[in-house]
Amino acid sequence: MLKKGWGYNMKKYAKEFMHRGLMFGGFGPIVIGIIYMIISNFETDFSLSAGEVLLAIVSTYLLAFLQAGATVFNQIEHWSLPKSLFCHFVTLYLAYSLCYVLNSWIPFDGKVLLIFSLIFIVSFFAIWFIVYFCVRATSKRFNKKIEEK
Amino acid sequence: MKFRLIIDKNREEEVIIYAHEKTKLVEEIENLVSENNFELTGFIDREAVKLNLAEVYCFISENNKVFALCEKEKFRLRERLYQLEEKLPENFVKINQSCIADIKKIKKFDASFTGVLKVIFKNGYTDYVSRRNVKNVKERLGL
Repeated sequence: MLKKGWGYNMKKYAKEFMHRGLMFGGFGPIVIGIIYMIISNFETDFSLSAGEVLLAIVSTYLLAFLQAGATVFNQIEHWSLPKSLFCHFVTLYLAYSLCYVLNSWIPFDGKVLLIFSLIFIVSFFAIWFIVYFCVRATSKRFNKKIEEK
Repeated sequence: MKFRLIIDKNREEEVIIYAHEKTKLVEEIENLVSENNFELTGFIDREAVKLNLAEVYCFISENNKVFALCEKEKFRLRERLYQLEEKLPENFVKINQSCIADIKKIKKFDASFTGVLKVIFKNGYTDYVSRRNVKNVKERLGL
């Protein structure tokens, strides 16, 4: 009775994806605004056209939206670890690479894209491992306390 | 600790403890009394059922409706989650925005791949501890 059907769960996760995305999407343009402000303080001839600014705002909003929403993939219980990791990774990789290329932050060049991909893969898994092992340590401490009680 | 029971039908029933400090035993007695005093009515198929708090594993909110999850049953409640949170005994702790769990009914914690703590209850139900509520749980566990 406590378990729910596949359809209900997927609807729940889709809703959660949207909820998280909308909640944190606004941080993208804020971050890019801060970065542009810092650059303009150091580079006197730094200027952007209205189109470039609009593109940066929209793309970073989408980037933050997808990044926040994609955390839901790891909570889908009936998905295996490789599947959830793969979906999370692909979503983030596509979002980041498209955003960087569209804004010309990196050139559309095979060699550059390869270096970008390598850095992305290493960073993604390094962060994932650190977070996972920290949470695992906390769960062990909590379990020890529960056993004592 | 001595134990004294006085049967007196003319007085209001109460439990008074004289202790040097708040020990685990005192806490357990406090929780037991609170659980027994807690009046809760659940609804299942439009039928009202008086719930015993000791049978509840957790309270959850789904689609703006609040439910009490027991071993196998799920009862709809009229109370809101924040109202329950205010009056529930100490063994109940808010683990995320839509779940208040009985610590005694948690089987184990697990690390989820999203970086949050997964909670597995003794009845098999699973939920998670949101980052905002990790501190709450830590305190209730005495860490």
